[in-house]
Amino acid sequence: MTFSEETLGAYADGELDAATRAALEAAMSADPRLAERVARQRALRARVQDAFAPVLAEPLPERLLASARGAAAGQRPDNVIRLEPRPRARWSWPQWSAIAASLVLGALLGPLLLGPLLPGPPAGNAPVDTRAGRMLASGVLSRALSDQLASAQPPGAPVQIGVSFRERNGTYCRTFIVQGASPLAGLACREQSAWRVEALARGAPAPGGTAYRQAASALPRAVAGTLDELIAGEPLDAAGEAAARERGWHP
Amino acid sequence: MGELRTELVELLPRLRRFARVLARNPHDADDLVQTAIERALAHARQLRADAPLAGWLFGIVRHAWIDEQRSRGRRGRLFAAAEAADEVADPAHGAPLDAIAVQDAVARLPDEQRLAVALVLVEGLSYKEAAHIMEVPIGTLTSRLARARDALQALLGERDGA
Repeated sequence: MTFSEETLGAYADGELDAATRAALEAAMSADPRLAERVARQRALRARVQDAFAPVLAEPLPERLLASARGAAAGQRPDNVIRLEPRPRARWSWPQWSAIAASLVLGALLGPLLLGPLLPGPPAGNAPVDTRAGRMLASGVLSRALSDQLASAQPPGAPVQIGVSFRERNGTYCRTFIVQGASPLAGLACREQSAWRVEALARGAPAPGGTAYRQAASALPRAVAGTLDELIAGEPLDAAGEAAARERGWHP
Repeated sequence: MGELRTELVELLPRLRRFARVLARNPHDADDLVQTAIERALAHARQLRADAPLAGWLFGIVRHAWIDEQRSRGRRGRLFAAAEAADEVADPAHGAPLDAIAVQDAVARLPDEQRLAVALVLVEGLSYKEAAHIMEVPIGTLTSRLARARDALQALLGERDGA
């Protein structure tokens, strides 16, 4: 008696009727190659299950809990600063739009960002700095982006690093949360020796875990959206992150 | 309604896992779950008392996914294809974790095969339940599942000790 792969799959799924199952098990004990094919089907099922099982252990995103529980809508902080338009190709970004962008950014950042980010008159320690219409990480944020590994965050660090990944052109980008009375979440990409901030939003949810997928789901919507837009392939794992730091985050 | 909400919260981890198999990325997956929750609450009256809640919700997630793909349209398909063509970065550091390899292989399956994999292999539903959610005869489900398994074996290859 021969058994199709479909039948062997159904056996692994527990879907064979008693008679076919008995016939298959009898044949398996006499035929090691058949037993091996069955083992392969069972291993595939287990492997696929294992690959997605960690999702069950992730902390639930607040927005889903709120929807399911029926909490009052509009609790999600949506005062998001999306730095648009993002130049398609950075080298062709015309000067006039850089100037326009700096005006827009200045208008946005004045009330929203610079106040809380710059506690005292000396501006030296602000985590974000605008130069020529571009927002660059500075101070504590710049240092954390360059040096801190998501897999080994110092407890109580002022900046928490989330996901590190590469864009299609190989550029490294990282998501971050600047802790404080009014936390900021954002995403920055390496640009020569600086970190260009691509998205910023106020009101980061409490850090939910260490795995990158957890980190990604804990990001404010706009930052997570920018991540989706830019990411090519999978986020870096701990080894990839450490290797990228070794290279100074240069592709 | 209060009881439905409680059960919804309990089922959230499984709904997220199911959506994670279907969607392009974790963010889109959670968007699907969010849409499904809203639709489930809006159509709570359609839920029959004797029907399993999980199956009903998986069906709603599936419909949300289909709607989302339609609205994404051609641009989305191009984007998805370009994305699927990108390999995991950093080949210098050996094979990616097995979970990433498996997720990547599942992501390359045609939609209907991926749905069968999500319901039967990942969620562990019976063929009967899965076929009901997919709105196809059981024979259609089993042949999609068989094709998906062949494709996954081909993509993932043998693994020592498996």
